[in-house]
Amino acid sequence: MIAPLLDQILIALGMGILGAVIFAGIGLISGSDETTTLAPLTLLVVLLGVPAAGVLTFFLAGAVAKHMTHAVPTALLGIPGDTMATPLMREANFLRNLGVPHIALRKMISGAVIAALIAVPMAVLFAVMLAPFGDMIKRAAPWVFLFAAVAIAWFSKGRLAAVLTLIPFVMVIAGLQSITGQYGVKLSVSYFLGIAIGPLIAALFSMLAPAERETMRRQEVRTFSLSPDVKSWGGFFPNPLKVLDSKQSMWTAVTAVVSSATFVFSPVAMTVIMGEVVGSRVKHVYHRLTTVITARNGVTESTYLAEALIPLIAFGLPLSPVAAGPAAPLFNAPPRFSVDTATGQVHNLHSLLSTWEFLGYGMLAVVIAILIAYPFTMNYAHRAASYVSRKISHEAVISTFVGLILVIGIWEGGLLGLLVIITIGLLGGFLSRFLGFNIGVQFMGYYTAVLTVPALVTLIHA
Amino acid sequence: MKPELFEVWGDTVDGRHLIYSIGIGAIVSLGAFFLAQYLLVGWVDSLQMARAYAMLVGIVGCLAGGAISASLFKPKRNVVEHLADPAWRSKILIELQNEYGPLGSLSDLPPATIAELREMDLYDLFADYEKGLDTCAKSLDASPAAAVRAVSINGGRS
Repeated sequence: MIAPLLDQILIALGMGILGAVIFAGIGLISGSDETTTLAPLTLLVVLLGVPAAGVLTFFLAGAVAKHMTHAVPTALLGIPGDTMATPLMREANFLRNLGVPHIALRKMISGAVIAALIAVPMAVLFAVMLAPFGDMIKRAAPWVFLFAAVAIAWFSKGRLAAVLTLIPFVMVIAGLQSITGQYGVKLSVSYFLGIAIGPLIAALFSMLAPAERETMRRQEVRTFSLSPDVKSWGGFFPNPLKVLDSKQSMWTAVTAVVSSATFVFSPVAMTVIMGEVVGSRVKHVYHRLTTVITARNGVTESTYLAEALIPLIAFGLPLSPVAAGPAAPLFNAPPRFSVDTATGQVHNLHSLLSTWEFLGYGMLAVVIAILIAYPFTMNYAHRAASYVSRKISHEAVISTFVGLILVIGIWEGGLLGLLVIITIGLLGGFLSRFLGFNIGVQFMGYYTAVLTVPALVTLIHA
Repeated sequence: MKPELFEVWGDTVDGRHLIYSIGIGAIVSLGAFFLAQYLLVGWVDSLQMARAYAMLVGIVGCLAGGAISASLFKPKRNVVEHLADPAWRSKILIELQNEYGPLGSLSDLPPATIAELREMDLYDLFADYEKGLDTCAKSLDASPAAAVRAVSINGGRS
């Protein structure tokens, strides 16, 4: 009885450490999107046959660690570490220009620690509360996603333009799906990768157009000011509650609880909204910058954890942007995990782990990630940022991502997969640049196409 | 030959190096993927698993392509290690004011934050700004930020 449990815990521990180390490293590289890195590697772990507990800790520890180390390029170099770091850029840049990027960094990761620890029990609690409504929500899911898509579009930079752009964008995705369907190819990762990497694809196409190329031309290299290493605490593992003041800890905790409950919304949108709410309640600008950046990075952790855990525990269906994106392999990874939307038959982590196991392994994953990524970022951020900015050229980063587009596209759907990534990426990249139709709205557009459109068609034909 | 620099995806690249890097990334990653798939399909029982392993090898190939590009092409960045200079800091205050409106007053802050500002040498910057705001109320010509600039150039330290 005890021995198999111990085995499970040891596997969970090992996979958690592996996930935390890999993604703490990936987090340092600017522009390494969560979906494009977490989804394929988690899928791999699932398909390699790692036991359920290990799959869960690998994913959660990876996500938590990445959202700590992504603060390094964001704060020290002024380049967003990943998609979730983009809402932090404004505050991070102001603090960097004021000459205190190390403050921005410490506040961000301390907020992450607090929020991650709060989010797991909160997510489990909300999931237990929601579970009785599971069937109802499963039936209403298409409309929940449609409502969320419109709301998130409205709150994006594009406002009405973004809401209206949802229609053609959904049409394009539905069209692409029916084309690939004719050849028996069903794609999902390719759409996510296309959306996530759209800005790069749009930029590379722009370089081929002579007029655009001239606007992109630069006379000299950019200057990055990397601030000197300032260590103003003793020991290896500083207390996050001492890095933050009481107001910052309080707001981080409040936003972590709120964003754990709102699991159907885009995590980027939640990060933006929570930051605005906190910002409007802090008077002095310096205090506002540091409090907002703390709370926002906390939300990047809590919203990710809750959006993965709540649908997993309560429904077993990928009913949130994170669940349908980076966490998708936890729900659906044929032949090992499967979801049948028609019959409601589910075979994945939902059926393999109990609620208590989710809580236990979830906390284990968060603690592992904190023990690895928090002291690493606190003590070695400067050296890591210096190494990345001096040794890793942007050409090398682009080269890696071009490789990723090709491998993932061809792996998932052959030439069709690749064409879908390029089509969605080019369209999404330009819509985002010119209309403020951002990546979060595009993800919601994808779910609308996958969930709402079939429901609408049934409704019309009924 | 003078390198042609472009800003792509948030950073500066050399056009020629970018083309080579994309070529290297494509060849190494796809080469690794197809080679692994060719070898594994006969060797691993399940086709699904063979393709999953091949994807892992392909992802390693992506990293290898990136590593080759990184070793061939140096970053087009000028990384300088210093704190923002005080004259620039006061410009940031103007930007902050444009972005958020009034900056708020130091008397609203909890003691912990005041201590933090002092530790970062930022307290005087905001204090000078507030002083500038007071004089500004008296004479409309001088902006508070201008007053900060004058003070910081003389008395700031970085």
